[in-house]
Amino acid sequence: MNEYTLNTNEEPKRKGSILSAVRRLKPLLVSETVQIILAALAIVINSTLTLLGPVIIGHVIDTYIATRDFNGVLLYTGILTAMYCVGFVASYAQTRIMGGVSLRVLYRLRNSIFEKLQDLPVAFFQQNKAGDLISRINNDTDKLGQFFSQSIMQFIGNIFIIIGSAIAILLINFKLGLAALVPAALLLFLSKVLGPWIKRKNAINMKSVGGMSAEIQESLDHFKVVVAFDRRDYFRKSFQRTNEDNYHSAVRAGIANNTFTPVYGFASNLALLIVILYGFNLISASTFTFGLLISFLSYIYRLYDPLRQMAALWTTFQVALAGWDRIHAILQMNSNITILTDTEGVSRLHDKSHPEAVMEFSNVSFTYATDVTVLDKTNFVLDRGKTYALVGPTGGGKTTTASLMARLYDPVEGMVLLNGRDLRTFSAEERAENIGFILQEPFLFSGTVGDNIRYGNPKFATVDNTKLTEVLEQKDLQVVINKFDKGLDTIIENGGDSMSLGQKQLIAFMRALMRAPKLLILDEATANIDTVTEQLLEDILRKLPPETTKVIIAHRLNTIADADTIFFVNSGSIIEAGSMQKAVDLLMHGKRKS
Amino acid sequence: MKDTKSHPVGPTVPKALDADKVDSSQPGKKKNRGQSGPSIFSVLTPYKKPLFLLVLVALSINGLALVLPKIISHAIDDFAVGQFNAQSVSWLFIGVISAVFVLTYLQGILQTIASERVGRDLRQALSEKISRQSYAKIQEVTPAKLLTNLTSDIDSVKMFVAQAIVSIVASIVTILGASVLLLSINWRLALAVLTILPIIGGVFFFVLSRVRKLFVQTREVIDWLNKVINESILGASLIRVLNSKQPEFSKFVQASTRSKELGFDILKMFATLIPIVTFVANMATVVILALGGHFVIAGSMSLGDFAAFNSYLSTLIFPIFVIGFMSNVIAQASASYGRISSVLAVKEQPEAGTLDTKLLGNIDLKNVSVIYNDKYALRDVSFSVKAGSKTAIIGPTAGGKTQLLYLLTGLIDPQQGIVEYDGRAIADYKPSNLRSQVGVVFQDSILFYLSIRENISFSEKVTEADLQLAIKSAELTDFINELPEGLDTIISERGTSLSGGQKQRIMLARALALNPRVLLLDDFTARVDSQTELKILKNIESNYPECTLISVTQKISSVEKYDQIILLMEGEVVASGTHMALMDSSPEYNQIFDSQQSTQSYE
Repeated sequence: MNEYTLNTNEEPKRKGSILSAVRRLKPLLVSETVQIILAALAIVINSTLTLLGPVIIGHVIDTYIATRDFNGVLLYTGILTAMYCVGFVASYAQTRIMGGVSLRVLYRLRNSIFEKLQDLPVAFFQQNKAGDLISRINNDTDKLGQFFSQSIMQFIGNIFIIIGSAIAILLINFKLGLAALVPAALLLFLSKVLGPWIKRKNAINMKSVGGMSAEIQESLDHFKVVVAFDRRDYFRKSFQRTNEDNYHSAVRAGIANNTFTPVYGFASNLALLIVILYGFNLISASTFTFGLLISFLSYIYRLYDPLRQMAALWTTFQVALAGWDRIHAILQMNSNITILTDTEGVSRLHDKSHPEAVMEFSNVSFTYATDVTVLDKTNFVLDRGKTYALVGPTGGGKTTTASLMARLYDPVEGMVLLNGRDLRTFSAEERAENIGFILQEPFLFSGTVGDNIRYGNPKFATVDNTKLTEVLEQKDLQVVINKFDKGLDTIIENGGDSMSLGQKQLIAFMRALMRAPKLLILDEATANIDTVTEQLLEDILRKLPPETTKVIIAHRLNTIADADTIFFVNSGSIIEAGSMQKAVDLLMHGKRKS
Repeated sequence: MKDTKSHPVGPTVPKALDADKVDSSQPGKKKNRGQSGPSIFSVLTPYKKPLFLLVLVALSINGLALVLPKIISHAIDDFAVGQFNAQSVSWLFIGVISAVFVLTYLQGILQTIASERVGRDLRQALSEKISRQSYAKIQEVTPAKLLTNLTSDIDSVKMFVAQAIVSIVASIVTILGASVLLLSINWRLALAVLTILPIIGGVFFFVLSRVRKLFVQTREVIDWLNKVINESILGASLIRVLNSKQPEFSKFVQASTRSKELGFDILKMFATLIPIVTFVANMATVVILALGGHFVIAGSMSLGDFAAFNSYLSTLIFPIFVIGFMSNVIAQASASYGRISSVLAVKEQPEAGTLDTKLLGNIDLKNVSVIYNDKYALRDVSFSVKAGSKTAIIGPTAGGKTQLLYLLTGLIDPQQGIVEYDGRAIADYKPSNLRSQVGVVFQDSILFYLSIRENISFSEKVTEADLQLAIKSAELTDFINELPEGLDTIISERGTSLSGGQKQRIMLARALALNPRVLLLDDFTARVDSQTELKILKNIESNYPECTLISVTQKISSVEKYDQIILLMEGEVVASGTHMALMDSSPEYNQIFDSQQSTQSYE
């Protein structure tokens, strides 16, 4: 059931050749085609000018300086200056355009990963560490960006130069050309063999970086406990361990990354030797001349110089691929919480369903990834406008039941119905509009109290504080907001770390009530709020529109006392307790599981 | 002392956002940034030996690379006169290229090891620094920034060590060598050429000084991205309940767009810098062509010298390009190193306390005030707790109860007044001594991604017997026995696999495992049912009889028999005494009591 775990120990499936790897990167670049063509043009101009420069200077020396024609010299200095001005523009364009491509690719890539994260269900975040995900979004994308900005054009350009030079030397002398290409062929073979190894070393390293990032994130988020339990050394030691691990994996990756450079260098030098020895041989046999050998050698340089650069580029490419794999692992995930079309399933239960009910559980079973059955074929109906209480021992399944009502998870078996319709057929907007759920562990975003009350509420997203205050007043929530010394402007730092749980619960309460949901679920929503304030909140709840259905999970009896029906949730079953006394009896004497 | 006071106000607008505005006012606000901090080169000081070796290897590779063309030209000359010895030339050649191969490989290894060492050691230094900071300081600097410091910032420095050093040294050596050669051929022409060096140097300086600020800002955007991603993960359930994917996405895109914009700003700089450098260098060749041509035509220079001069000129110019490319790496690394240094330069909390005595458990607060966000969180709070007694702290939400607990734990320091254990100020105690005797259960679930065993015996002093007693006392025995892997069950990411009550009790066991002399509970009863709560409190009484208990709570019924109840409202002690005394004297207490008349917990 750990379908969302990213960091498995399995080797990633190795998919085919370099070409298919390049193809996988293609979608990122499609929209940049024009830019890439422009950049390529700039590169061609720029390199042509760079190559032409020495040729012209040579020409000037030979024809004008040697003949003492200073006017000719001046003419060509003018031409050269003009050329270099064009070169200036081309060089600017080249860097600017490719840099732009890289920045936009990076931008789109990061955004699409983040967007994907928002599509994935809660279960995903229970199976993956926050720090590792952050590392994927920030660091791994960077590796791709580096490849795009620095290497890709050089990569393509070099391939053309290499092929051109190869053809040239084959034309000059086929046999000698072939001999000179032997080391290049060996390199090609070696690159194919070593490429995956380099990629793997880098993948291991990136995983270790992700692990380190997760470690740091956890320790920093839990710093309070680290200090209070005098385990500053825990932070140090656990970090030292991951740091040391990372050092080793990084050194291994680094050494792998530095393998190509000496190998390519060696091969290109070897080619020189082959050409000289074989060339002398041919000259002795009178099938070749000195002049041809000299120009042949210059082509060999032209062939192997870019090939030498390819060593570094090829490595960058492998690193980028390793990063891409880690990113792709997220992008290719699909949420199993999908929206079904209306027809499926609904009729299946039609005879049994209660269309008038707000919510119904029909044979609902649920199991977490740990394979422990939390709910086993449970059935119950919630009627409109009533108040329900869920009671039961801790760990008995109350929060799970509530989470199924809000579709944080889908049942393994059976169906949850909202307004007589399968909950899975509702769009996320409809669901959020109908169901309000105050979570047991309230979460606040950095910002102000006002930001947090508005959060995720399209109706109030653009409403200013004065208006918001009016609405709060209408809903009798003014007393609650007054509990904060600066009201709506009270600052919330670091995800609410500066607030007490009680304060967080107050904000979560306001946030949920401002949405005026039809079904309001309160999971220990007031557990850390003082009882006097809690009474205020209860009054507010009582004044909600009569059609509002409330589901309350709480320990305090008065919170439950108002309930029309009490459900007892334990050991996989949800049963109606009838009266409060019955519920208390069940709790005292029933099978306890916690 | 000022840690809590100096909480930055308004981090709502991520810092990176106002980075533009901040620019002018930077020096005053963050000295380290304004003064540009220690040079990035200072990071290299402890690694002189390996780096020296690295540079030596790199220079020998360059040297050997010069030998190869010589061998070839000699071979050709020899062949032309019929004295070519294929075998000896081949061996020489193969010998040299093998040496180059080995040295290049060695260079790669040395570069990797040097850069990774620098990275590892900097991380270690940072983590040690962080581990010695106060809780308040960490919140002030923000975990998001520290995460960037330990990851992306270190990466930039590593890149600098791996790529820049060898290139720069080799380039400088080449430039010097070529300069000498040029000067020896024709000093007048050479001087004309060398004027480009200060021009190019000036351009570098101009761009780098500007781009550094931009790089600092890009790092701040990464902090921002970290924060947005982290909050979107921590708030994942809420986001799904509220269907607020879109606002989350907009938040991210806002940060991501800022990052892109900064990227473009930097790109513009470098896209201009590189062509300028190239252009200046190219213009030098043009000037030489004209000027040298003039000299040759005028007869003050030979044509051969002029040709040689030209060929060495390209040797001079190429390394200038290399430095141009490296300037990006240097700028980025120096921005990151500045950020790292500013963390490393943070003053350490003086932990001067030396008292290593066993606590009795008497606690005194004398006129304690805590100011938080310019407002009194606690004001002039005084009370005493006798060793072995039970004290409850009761009061409305946001009344300062949690702050009070943080004070007692030493997580925060008071701005005024003093907190004493057994008549001595908290600061007098050796922190490790105090913390091994004061157990605390926070109200929010903070569990580590470790096994249950490791979570409970989180303090290192916990023995197996302590662990077992703590588990028994926290009523966790049945729960743990039911788990297939028992105590070795891993608590997954943020304890999402456990119920609220289970987490609460594991946290209690963690505190009890210390065998604490003082136990501080923050709203422990909120998540645990009354029946279990009752059992647990009885367990504590019998298993930890000498323990002084301070319990922050909402529920009067569970603390009626306590020795002392302190009523805390809006940061001030409104009343204190036994339940009966408070019922007689305090109207506020009566109000709370009345509100709970029907408020028993079930079970």
